Amino acid sequence: MPKISVSDLKPGMVLAKPLARGNMVILGEGTVLNEAWISRLDDMNVEHVYIDGPSEQPVSKEQALRDLEARFRNVIDMPHMRALNNLVKNHIESLYGR
Amino acid sequence: MADKIDAKTIRSKVEQINTLPTVPGTLKRISRTLEKPRISLDELGKIISNDPALTTKILKMVNSASYGFPGRISSVSHATMLLGLNVIKGLLLGVSVFELMEKTMTGLWEHSMACAMASRIIAQKKGLKEPEEVSVCGLLHDIGKTILMLQYSEIFQKAMQEAENNGITIYESESRHFSATHAEAGQWLLQKWHFPPTLVDTIQYHHQPTLSKNSPMETAIVHVADVLVRAKGLGFAGDHVVPELNSAAWDMVSLSEDDIMEILSDLEDGAQAAREET
Repeated sequence: MPKISVSDLKPGMVLAKPLARGNMVILGEGTVLNEAWISRLDDMNVEHVYIDGPSEQPVSKEQALRDLEARFRNVIDMPHMRALNNLVKNHIESLYGR
Repeated sequence: MADKIDAKTIRSKVEQINTLPTVPGTLKRISRTLEKPRISLDELGKIISNDPALTTKILKMVNSASYGFPGRISSVSHATMLLGLNVIKGLLLGVSVFELMEKTMTGLWEHSMACAMASRIIAQKKGLKEPEEVSVCGLLHDIGKTILMLQYSEIFQKAMQEAENNGITIYESESRHFSATHAEAGQWLLQKWHFPPTLVDTIQYHHQPTLSKNSPMETAIVHVADVLVRAKGLGFAGDHVVPELNSAAWDMVSLSEDDIMEILSDLEDGAQAAREET
């Protein structure tokens, strides 16, 4: 769920976290943003919002998967560790969208 | 290889930690307070409230994703009410050691915060009464590494280098140089600061969870949380390899595949939030 600057918002993006001012929620989680909402956010001096979708990752997917295999190299023969390795692999793949 | 440093010497070095010039003033002050055998929650709250920097740090921690109250705790007295003496004591220690952790081993704080979060989530899933206490155990489980690094910088660096070169864990390579590991170093420190045995056990036995008598479940949780965070590759705990999950502890905690996926994804969100903050 990336945090996006209001100036970079595009209509159709979906809020991943409710937007609140103090204790009041202004827009709920799951709101699909349109032009009007976006310009109003700008008028209210909101700087960033959280948007649904994969976040930017510090390394490439290929690198992340290579690092994963390297981390597990001593324990990969143990069935429960192999199972954990597979789950983490699925998790990493999910972070890169598709 | 040179002679191993004996456990007794390590213990006395650990206990003299506040005499080190490199230890920040806040930690020295806090350590003097925690060394008193009895301290009330009220006293502890006052100490924090009287220190604006400490107040900010504590409130930031309790409102972070590692604890279960995102953005909801606005005062120290509210925090002490909700979390209780052991958690506040642990957090106080955590935030005052933070600086040292980052200075002595970059990435150790990120590893510790992620462990705190994973420990809390697992404790909640298992229906434990005090998930925040387990979280503090996750936060402090590697505190011994900071101390060994401070007191025995050269040897500990060498141990880290050997872990790297030989593809072993820092726990394994530590034991080639020291007669006690970071787990015991952490244990001695927490005992000196009068943490209850249930918390001390989780630190002392996080690599041998089946040895815990006082809190087997909590210790198993911290052990599992540590391995999950390493499996995901968050932060740096002194080595680059995932250790084996203790199968008895793993069975005891018994997480489903969905549980694990959920924890990994929560850890990702926590790490993301931390990254965006800096």
